[in-house]
Amino acid sequence: MLKPRSPLQIKKSVIFALVLREARSRFGDRRMGATWTLIEPICHLLILSVLFGLLRGRTVAGIDFPVFVLVGLAPFLLFRNTALRLMNSPKENRALFSYKQIKPLDTYIARVLVEFSISATVYAILVFGFAWFGFDMAIKSPIEWMLTVLLGVIFSFGLGMLLSLIAHAMPSSTLFIRMMFFPLYFMSGVLIPASYLPHAMLPLLLLNPFLHLMELIRAEIFPHYVPVDGISVIYVIAFTLVLLFVSLGTYRVRRLHLISTKNG
Amino acid sequence: MFELRNITKSYLTPKGRRHVFRDLSLKIPAGKNIGLIGRNGSGKSTLVRLLGGADVPDSGTVATDKSISWPVGLSGGFQSTMTGRENIKFVSRVYGAVGDAMRRKVAYVEDFAEIGSWIDEPVKTYSSGMRSRLAFGLSMAFDFDYYLIDEVMSVGDAHFKRKCADVFEERLQKSKVVLVSHNMSEIKKLCDVVLLVRDGGVQIYDDVDEGIKAYNT
Repeated sequence: MLKPRSPLQIKKSVIFALVLREARSRFGDRRMGATWTLIEPICHLLILSVLFGLLRGRTVAGIDFPVFVLVGLAPFLLFRNTALRLMNSPKENRALFSYKQIKPLDTYIARVLVEFSISATVYAILVFGFAWFGFDMAIKSPIEWMLTVLLGVIFSFGLGMLLSLIAHAMPSSTLFIRMMFFPLYFMSGVLIPASYLPHAMLPLLLLNPFLHLMELIRAEIFPHYVPVDGISVIYVIAFTLVLLFVSLGTYRVRRLHLISTKNG
Repeated sequence: MFELRNITKSYLTPKGRRHVFRDLSLKIPAGKNIGLIGRNGSGKSTLVRLLGGADVPDSGTVATDKSISWPVGLSGGFQSTMTGRENIKFVSRVYGAVGDAMRRKVAYVEDFAEIGSWIDEPVKTYSSGMRSRLAFGLSMAFDFDYYLIDEVMSVGDAHFKRKCADVFEERLQKSKVVLVSHNMSEIKKLCDVVLLVRDGGVQIYDDVDEGIKAYNT
């Protein structure tokens, strides 16, 4: 007979199993899947940063442009991909909920872990690569920087969860949500400093937590980078807490529908 | 034993909420093979899912101190891009079988399913028969107190059917079944107690023949 396990043990083994499964399915489709999973975002980041470096001239705000793009774009892609992957999670994992140990929340956590691990590996490779070619990759305040990235991941977790619940209730909204992430690219100051954005619009643009995160990350990496007025970590934390509260609350209300076979 | 206390279960459909059970309370005696009968759409599968914990009631509780399997022969949970072996490992991990225990499960399913080297091919390349063999073998690799069987009892060719019946017979020495079936001879053969699901209610018949008679009238 099966040995009884504590809830914590069950949770741990379920999340571990899901992480491995998630990684497998990300790598599994193609020959040399693991290598490709890393090379794809590396190429994306490399091409964008070098291309914009060539187009825009060598430096921005006294920083080498490829470095400037890399340190902003990499975390932004991590946040965006996390949110979008979580959005599709209940739909793609629905068959698994027949195993009673597996809950939708576990699949969210597993996805975040996998996405984060892949992004961190890609970023580390690129940073070492850039440093190899003589760019200054030093981080001014590494601990604050790590905490900010972590905050961003938690924020994306809340956002992705909420999006998944919306997508589950209204399946046709996923296309619209995906499209919303395009303007976000420009409104979040991923490729340019926030001080280059139109000043009249700033109060409105500052409602976007991604803009805060991007500016904070850059200010924590570059020694002389000055973020625009109104950037505050407190705002992002407050936003994240409210978002987590809303998405976890909605999850609690909708959890029966998420695992139900009759709808969605 | 199972005890259902004030279970209410409904589903939200595009046309509104549909109640399957309202305020249902039920005690199923321990150590019995349970048969579920009832018309299509009467709520048998919902009841099985509630007993197995795959679905959660809107309100009320399902109490049991026994381990219950996932629906036997469930192949929907297989990730089609992963190999058969990886899928077995996934389920083993979920059920807490790691290390040596996992190797034993994989060896058992490999031996039972008889799909040879196909076990290392992605599941999407399998024929439906191979899929069912794998799924059935996987269910049998774990020792549950109760096995949930929803309508599908035997799969594959004659040889595999016999093998399934044999392993099941042996398993029933120690374990019990919760069987959903429209096949009354199967119910008669395997079950000690019958639950007749009708109009959102459930009646227990300790006498199987009596239950079947009530179902037929």
